[in-house]
Amino acid sequence: MNTEANGSLREKVRDIYRYIQENLYLNRPDMEMRGEPFNAALLMSLLTGLNQGKELIIGEPGLGKTTSAEHICALLYRIPLGTIWGSEVPGHPEQTEEKIIGRPDLGKLNQGEEVVVWSHFTLLPVKIVDEINRLPETKQSMILDGVDRGNWEYLNDAIINREYCLFATANYQDRGTNTIIAPLIDRFDVMVESKHPGPNLAYLIGAEGTNGAALRHEELEAEFQRTLGERTPYAVRMERVEEICDRFGKALAKNTGIPTLSQEERQTIRSQKEELPLELDFNAFLRFVLAELSFCCRYGQKRSHEGCEEGCHFTEYLCNTIRNCVSNRLPISARNFAQTLAWLLGDEQVGLEHLKAVLPFTLAHRIQWKEEIVAQREKEARSDPLEIYMAKQAVRDMHRRYMEQGSQVKNALAVACRIMDGESMEPIQGDHPLYWEIRKDLGEEVFKE
Amino acid sequence: MRNPFLDFRSLPYEKKEIPLDRIVRAKQEIMDSILEGYLHLVEEEVKDLVWLVEHSHVVRTYSAAVNRIRELHYDQDDIEEFCAELDSAKKIPYMISGPAGIYLSALINHAPEDRIVLRPKDFDRTFHFMGYRLPESKTLILQGNVGDFVGAGLSGGSLVVEGSVGNWCGAGMMNGEILVTGYAGQKTGEWMRGGEIHVDGSIGSLGRSRFGGKIYQRGKLVIPQELDDQY
Amino acid sequence: MTKLDDILLEIWPRVKRKHLFPELPDPVGAEGEERVGLDIKGKRISISREFVAEMSQAIEQGDVVEGLLDHAISHYLCCPWDFSTHLKLYAEAKEILRDKEMAQRATDYFMDVVADTHCVSQKETPLPQIYRNFKGGIVDEAIHALYQRIWGIDLGATGHEDISRKLSRLPYLDRTRWRESMRRFAKVIKALFEIEEKQGGSGEPSPMGDHGLEQYSPQEIEQGLKELALDAATPSEFRDIVRDFEDEILEASQSRDQGMGLGPGRSLDADLLYYMKLAENYLLPIRRMPTEKSGSLYPHQHIPWEVGKPYQDIDPWTSFGKIMPGITQTWRRREGEIFGREEGIPDCIVIIDSSGSMTDPRQRLSYAVLGAACACDAYLRNEAEVAVYNFSDARSGGQKVLPYSRYRKQIYRTICHYFGGGTRLLVENIEALQTEKAPDIFLITDMQITNLEVLVEYFNTCKNRVTAVHIGDNKHVETFRHSVAMRKNIEIYGVAKKEDIPRIVLGKVQDYLYKKVGP
Repeated sequence: MNTEANGSLREKVRDIYRYIQENLYLNRPDMEMRGEPFNAALLMSLLTGLNQGKELIIGEPGLGKTTSAEHICALLYRIPLGTIWGSEVPGHPEQTEEKIIGRPDLGKLNQGEEVVVWSHFTLLPVKIVDEINRLPETKQSMILDGVDRGNWEYLNDAIINREYCLFATANYQDRGTNTIIAPLIDRFDVMVESKHPGPNLAYLIGAEGTNGAALRHEELEAEFQRTLGERTPYAVRMERVEEICDRFGKALAKNTGIPTLSQEERQTIRSQKEELPLELDFNAFLRFVLAELSFCCRYGQKRSHEGCEEGCHFTEYLCNTIRNCVSNRLPISARNFAQTLAWLLGDEQVGLEHLKAVLPFTLAHRIQWKEEIVAQREKEARSDPLEIYMAKQAVRDMHRRYMEQGSQVKNALAVACRIMDGESMEPIQGDHPLYWEIRKDLGEEVFKE
Repeated sequence: MRNPFLDFRSLPYEKKEIPLDRIVRAKQEIMDSILEGYLHLVEEEVKDLVWLVEHSHVVRTYSAAVNRIRELHYDQDDIEEFCAELDSAKKIPYMISGPAGIYLSALINHAPEDRIVLRPKDFDRTFHFMGYRLPESKTLILQGNVGDFVGAGLSGGSLVVEGSVGNWCGAGMMNGEILVTGYAGQKTGEWMRGGEIHVDGSIGSLGRSRFGGKIYQRGKLVIPQELDDQY
Repeated sequence: MTKLDDILLEIWPRVKRKHLFPELPDPVGAEGEERVGLDIKGKRISISREFVAEMSQAIEQGDVVEGLLDHAISHYLCCPWDFSTHLKLYAEAKEILRDKEMAQRATDYFMDVVADTHCVSQKETPLPQIYRNFKGGIVDEAIHALYQRIWGIDLGATGHEDISRKLSRLPYLDRTRWRESMRRFAKVIKALFEIEEKQGGSGEPSPMGDHGLEQYSPQEIEQGLKELALDAATPSEFRDIVRDFEDEILEASQSRDQGMGLGPGRSLDADLLYYMKLAENYLLPIRRMPTEKSGSLYPHQHIPWEVGKPYQDIDPWTSFGKIMPGITQTWRRREGEIFGREEGIPDCIVIIDSSGSMTDPRQRLSYAVLGAACACDAYLRNEAEVAVYNFSDARSGGQKVLPYSRYRKQIYRTICHYFGGGTRLLVENIEALQTEKAPDIFLITDMQITNLEVLVEYFNTCKNRVTAVHIGDNKHVETFRHSVAMRKNIEIYGVAKKEDIPRIVLGKVQDYLYKKVGP
């Protein structure tokens, strides 16, 4: 790894963060990493943009959910705001596939040819869906595949995005909203809340406004419009788009000194972060968490339609408080975001503190709590919305359990490795679901009444 | 199946053990053995949770108890802890006082220590047959009140009760000494053949069938001096 | 910045990493006693400068600081872990020692042994060096002898063979047996306390400070009290423990006025607190805003048109003027959803029998009070008001009426009041609490009411939804059942054990609150 290049890239990303925090998205820091304060929503958005991730931003209307996503996309992907606005998909019940994904070329259609005119939403690497929970369920399903793999199909044509990130915003449940369907919500890597900045910062926003105008460029926006509307192959168009992005980046740097990232730089960051090794405690703790979120002593695993029995031995663990089984997307999201965070902080390894920092945001939307648990926690004093608060509490509780028995857990995993390699040893026994799961992996029949 | 634990292959499996682990483990093994011995004894000797206090029964139960504990290596602390287990009923669903006391006595009599101190005042349950057949050179000190047949069959040992005793104290004792700082119940010294019983408090009644030995009350010899008309 | 602050800055990140990043604020150096090295308030660790200075005559300063931090973190990580565990351990010690101060000291020592042993067994720590160089009183000496035995490290401790041998047999690292271990620990250490007292009082304070309740947050205290209430077999068991910590609990919960029985300037009513905390263990979720179908169909979304489907809902705009499969889109209509007419949650009149045949709630667990508490809690959490009519021999003044209120303390106080007299109620008092909206009625009694027929007659004429919960079974219950059999607005339930309370009471309340309100 070229540490020098690493360092300057990191500085650039931090400059982007600082610029947005001081000029575009005024909000209070609400988390701390090694003594350095961060705003969670902005930090997670930054990590999402770097990571090609998918973020769900919730919050009250007018608190900067969409705006923050737009600014991150503009600076990380070098796309002017006007172009981003033009590509956003607003969530309302009358959205159609033609508005979201693409439409037939009417002229060609009249001549009997099927040629797809792709929407800017599908073409651009940055995708913002505003108020996604106002989309009906069928439209949500439609976005599913594209969101998951960057794969968009219409009529008999398809495009595959080489690079993309997704930001979706959602207001709290009101008259006009639907639920975000479970398969779609599971595909989001993180969920954050865009909070109210407090009266003092809000006053500043009102008095001075935010300097989003600096991220506009009419001439280049027009060029984007033309290029995206061309009837050329997707790959060719995207090369042209990348050239315009570079020109926008240079214009910003020259006129205002605002830093941005090129495609090459983004790819470098991704490969650098992929190289960061994962510490054993990271490894063990993530397994620890996954065990508590999937284990069921009676039914083999958690299932949404199967409830816990009374008097279960494992009442102290999270499996007793949730209804569903966590998906395999959780460890992917957790690892990606933790690695990116570690890269951003300049650490040489990805450790427990990185995982602890991102885990609540990767968990909050993926856990279905039991009603009685929600009833107990609902009225507790907190500064986060309930789902994020409960996820933070859950991570804190699991971490405390891990701190107490971390070395035994690692020993159990080490012994299991040896047993798998053929050594004659007994697996280490313990009370935590992970010990039981290790024994299952080693082929033992475990069933605890 | 792929080995999902490969990342931990290089982690040296080390279990940092401190002496506490060894002490607790060793103690647990001994306690399990002692407990197992008691439960087997109860299974063999007690029918339908009823155990009759008959001489032959008692003798047989004691022999069975001695057989059970013969191979065990324990000490006074284990005996104390076993008393606590008997009292708490967590691991022992039912305590039949007679066999429990006889089993305890077997443990006491074969313990390595010559001087054993137990604290019945810490327990809610009452133990009977404590000090049964206590041999010569053994001293048993019981701090608190105890039940019936204390020091029965005493065989030369020294039994001190810092409290009161129930009925049939010293029944059938052969030799040795019993000292009771509190009071004694009915039939004290019944079937006594030798040795001495000293009671500092009152005595409910003396055993009518006695074949030897001496009983003192408040330092004064009452048997073999007949004072039946007082009782 | 002083040297201690520098050392803390240097050592803290390393110690945090060693213990896998506990969520504790940065420790500070403080002016403290020479003999006490550590103080933990609200999870903030304070290290005494004087203590460090004194200890560093024998040990490296960094090692002193690291050892103290290791100890403090072990308390957080391992024992007592939370307020509830602290209280349970204290309860066990108190049962053996019978004296508050002795029990507190025994608990402190036990927690220290567990925390230190956990630390030494898991991590590399300089903690033993602190003990090697600290000379305390007789109890501390015995504890050091114990450490020497169970850690296998020479701490220079002599004597106390017997006690350290007995204490070494306890499974300190087995959390599931802590309570049993605490009892045995207390039994053994009692002798030392007695010797100490004979020698003229307790010796030097432990270098690790004492373990008061100020290290717990108000939320932890609330949670701990809840668990203790669930654990306690009787109100008096709860009361005995809580009263010993009354000052600390009140101080810690000053800002939380809605915590019933707790608040500045008020003494703790432990019995009210017991039922309040016990009822909190059984909670109903908050009712959501109901929605209902509007009855009209509205175009909702586009779906692809297929041959054979009707034409009338085709959207020509999205179909680009074409009628062909794959291109043409048609509207799917859906019934609109609007917010239902929100009647509001009805208020509730709780009628509770506190006559002589009922259990005195301050002596033993009263199912009636617990049931009433659960019901009250459910209505209050759903923003309704609760009135209480507590009766015994009403004609002789044995009754208490509380008008509609949302003030928990008043409600619980009225419910918990025990008259213990005869059993006769005055229906007029119930009538006086009726409102236009026909509140729900919750009756909890053993049905041994002298003027039961008056009550039956009243229920047979009223329009309220009535839930009657009877404790135990007797012939009056049969009479009551028979008399109100025809009434559809009256449901009767029997309670035989504690577990029936939440199931029955909350089940019925849940039915009421989550079904459509109305006739």
